Amino acid sequence: MPRVFRDRTDISSDIWLQDVTFERGHLYLIEAASGTGKSSLCSYLIGYREDYKGTIEFDGLDIRQFCTYDWTRLRKHSLSTMFQELRVFPEFTAWENVQVKNQLTGFKTDADIHQWFEALGIADKEQTRLGHLSYGQQQRVALIRALCQPFDFLLADEPVSHLDGANCQAMADVMMGEARRQGAGVIITSIGHHMELPYEKVFKL
Amino acid sequence: MKLIWKLLRRHVSVAQLVGFFFANLLGMLIVLLSLQFYEDVLPAFTGDDGVIKNTYLIVSKRISAVTTLRGEAQPFTESDIRDFEAQRFTQKVGAFTASQFKVYASLSMGGVGVGTDMFFESVPDAFVDIRWPEGIGENEVPIILPRSYLAIYNFGFAQSQSLPKLSEGIVSMIQMDIRLRGEGGAERWIKGRVVGFSNRLNTVLVPESFMQKANAELAGHTTAAPTRLIVEVKNPADDAIASYIQEKGYELENDSLEAGRVTYFLKVVAAIVMAVGLLISVLSFYILMLSVFLIVQKNADKLQNLLLIGYSPARVARPYQLLALGLNLLVLLLAWVLLLWIRGLYLERLWQMFPSLTEGSLSMTLRIGIALFVIVSFFNYVAIRKKINTLIPTSSRTMRRGLYAAFHAR
Repeated sequence: MPRVFRDRTDISSDIWLQDVTFERGHLYLIEAASGTGKSSLCSYLIGYREDYKGTIEFDGLDIRQFCTYDWTRLRKHSLSTMFQELRVFPEFTAWENVQVKNQLTGFKTDADIHQWFEALGIADKEQTRLGHLSYGQQQRVALIRALCQPFDFLLADEPVSHLDGANCQAMADVMMGEARRQGAGVIITSIGHHMELPYEKVFKL
Repeated sequence: MKLIWKLLRRHVSVAQLVGFFFANLLGMLIVLLSLQFYEDVLPAFTGDDGVIKNTYLIVSKRISAVTTLRGEAQPFTESDIRDFEAQRFTQKVGAFTASQFKVYASLSMGGVGVGTDMFFESVPDAFVDIRWPEGIGENEVPIILPRSYLAIYNFGFAQSQSLPKLSEGIVSMIQMDIRLRGEGGAERWIKGRVVGFSNRLNTVLVPESFMQKANAELAGHTTAAPTRLIVEVKNPADDAIASYIQEKGYELENDSLEAGRVTYFLKVVAAIVMAVGLLISVLSFYILMLSVFLIVQKNADKLQNLLLIGYSPARVARPYQLLALGLNLLVLLLAWVLLLWIRGLYLERLWQMFPSLTEGSLSMTLRIGIALFVIVSFFNYVAIRKKINTLIPTSSRTMRRGLYAAFHAR
């Protein structure tokens, strides 16, 4: 639970103050209302913040014990994140944004990546500077980037907040296709508008 | 790497880096120049006089009124010599061998004859810098005179006796007739020729081999306890020498530590200048660090993004580390080039003043330059890495290393 919540007595959540386990190969949705700590939860999971009470374990290991190298390895090999705030580089082209990641992992071929751009309908934007794209287009680039690495879990923080239904579906297909291929677990968060997917478990934050 | 650099070079301030570059260059140049100048100028003050090196000291025991009255000779004992040899400033110790016979030298020029009683001494050949001329016959001996003897003759004796003044060249051409007389009355006439003059050696020096033979022949024995020692020291400016000499009650001839004092002051001045240079270097180091930190701060978002998508802090820090390294290297190279240029200028002047000066070596300056470069770069390297680590709280953890990684390696 986030430390800032410690004085609150009215917490009723499927995650805070509960024991929750996420497993590979499953699909989860975390639904959150504003102010329930969704961003905090994501930050904790990826090791960006640690102002929480309780324990988060990865493979049975407390992540508070992780060192820099552990985190780097975890982020590079096991836990891919699509950030709500995207964390893309506006001065790069869409293509370069993906390459920044793929050059690190060397996980996907250029052809794979082209195919995703194609599937998400932004093939013509590959060489456009990201800052010139709409937020929805940037979201799609961010997703492609998140998929360019091996992962056990994909954490997608409000992946489709700016997308219409058709694009939403295209994104869900690409995302789930890669996750299934890798046998990975997918955790999606949402504050309302979310992809239509066969969620196996839905948590209310 | 290219992509990363494209991303991270934003906010790199050329003006700041240029500022660092010149500040560091100045600091480095001052440090290296003071060092090189010291190396180059030092020989001007400590250079040898052609016969014996500056690093040779001539040591005798102090002659006091008491020792004179007692008529004691004050020879160095074996243990005195061994003790001297054991000092850490000592390179090697040689003993003066005095002639155990009487020497009378005379020379005649144009009918005017001059003669005088005198003495010979010798030191081991290793201590004499000029080569004794070879092929000198049985009955001829090469001699090295103190330069002051000639001055005494020219300005004191010759003047008052209206004798001709002699130049070094002429003296070298004159053959002396020398009579050696041993204790038992054995006598031998030989020729003598002056082959050199020394400023620093207050004795009439002949080859050691000649001395041994003559002593054996005329006095019947070759060894007598030496009253003077010639000592090669590693560094005549070493304070330990003076205090050792003092403590033992020895005396140095010709104040051979004079050069040591000049060296000392030269050292102090060089050290002060070098300290100023180092200070500038340190300040320039701060400029670079501030500049890099500013860049990191301005690029904090991008750097965080990179870290969060799986880049290691080491990899993210690398472009800036390479930037610092490259700048430092450039500074080092340019400092060397400037150093050589400036050195060329002052060496020319120095040679006008001290024509016989041999230039000091560059190796010290090269090594110090490299050392400075390595130290500064190392600190840059570490500081940049630490700064990057502060961007994400979980990055600054180095304890309990590799828990997860170890788990996954299983």
